[in-house]
Amino acid sequence: MSEARTFKVQSGLAKQLARPGGRTVDEAERRAAQGLASHREDTLVAIGRIIGELEQACAAAEAGQEAHVYERAATLIDLAGFFDTGPLYEAGYSLCELSDRMRGAGVWKWPAVEVHVKALRLIHAGGCKADDNAAVLLQGLRSVLGAFAPAA
Amino acid sequence: MSGAVQPRVNLEHSTVLLIDDNPKSLDMLSSIFHGFGVKEQIKCESAAAATEIVKRRTIDLILVDCSMPDMDGYDFTRWLRRETPAPVRYTPVIMLTGHAATSGVQKSRDCGASFVIAKPLTPNVLLKRIMWLGADEREFVECDSYVGPDRRVRNFGPPLGMSGRRSGDLSTHVGVASEANMDQSDIDMLMKPRRVAL
Repeated sequence: MSEARTFKVQSGLAKQLARPGGRTVDEAERRAAQGLASHREDTLVAIGRIIGELEQACAAAEAGQEAHVYERAATLIDLAGFFDTGPLYEAGYSLCELSDRMRGAGVWKWPAVEVHVKALRLIHAGGCKADDNAAVLLQGLRSVLGAFAPAA
Repeated sequence: MSGAVQPRVNLEHSTVLLIDDNPKSLDMLSSIFHGFGVKEQIKCESAAAATEIVKRRTIDLILVDCSMPDMDGYDFTRWLRRETPAPVRYTPVIMLTGHAATSGVQKSRDCGASFVIAKPLTPNVLLKRIMWLGADEREFVECDSYVGPDRRVRNFGPPLGMSGRRSGDLSTHVGVASEANMDQSDIDMLMKPRRVAL
């Protein structure tokens, strides 16, 4: 095995950032947040469609859909993760974790998926608010997830 | 007198490559970078398409989603670090993750990304990481099993003037001496072996 070679590198990014000018950090963050906020409504509609696809998968409950459920849940949190969607993100993350654990263990329980999807729908319909109802739903999802041990 | 000088960020002349298979995510990332002042953004919906861009264009920063069909973000970064010539292979890479599947944890550690940012993502966190990369003092490591920035951030601490994520993080900069230099005789005394009577 060859030895590790270590050396200093100055990236083009470092050179660019060292140039004078630009905008203040506060201004850059404010403009970025403003631009991002303009996508919020469209994104929540897209998330609603993904929940609909997950509902269809649960209704069919067919074998061989495990990867599809994980992929849809992962896409959901990818989108939800651009905004403060609190409980929605947490419920989506829980579904990702659940489907990953069940796939890893070779065990698939549709009711466990279904309870997550129902929670996602309720939280989404409630405007993703971090209220008492969402807290109760998330507590229930934690219990469901806890029944499936993470992969070693 | 006015207050403290506001820190500034200049990304006006930077070229940023955004890679995500979800067009909606690409649009949102693009809006964030537009807010940061980046005028030149290249959006790719597949890592395979991004490999062609990287071969032809000079890129200052790459943002890539970890999970994509076919070539994922890990494979793309690994390819960049191992299969491209210098200085392209040194391009900073920020990887975005939503859920890290069990199978992806090892790949994430070993692919050579400069930073992995877990969602939820905020412009504040992203800009901090970009500024950190601009002042990054980690060495680049090349060996059989790994090519990328030194992963031991904790040993080197955050760049000068930036607070670390952990309470115990210290910068590697020693700074200006706060006390008078020791006399040579004092130093000699510290190093001089002495006979001790037991």
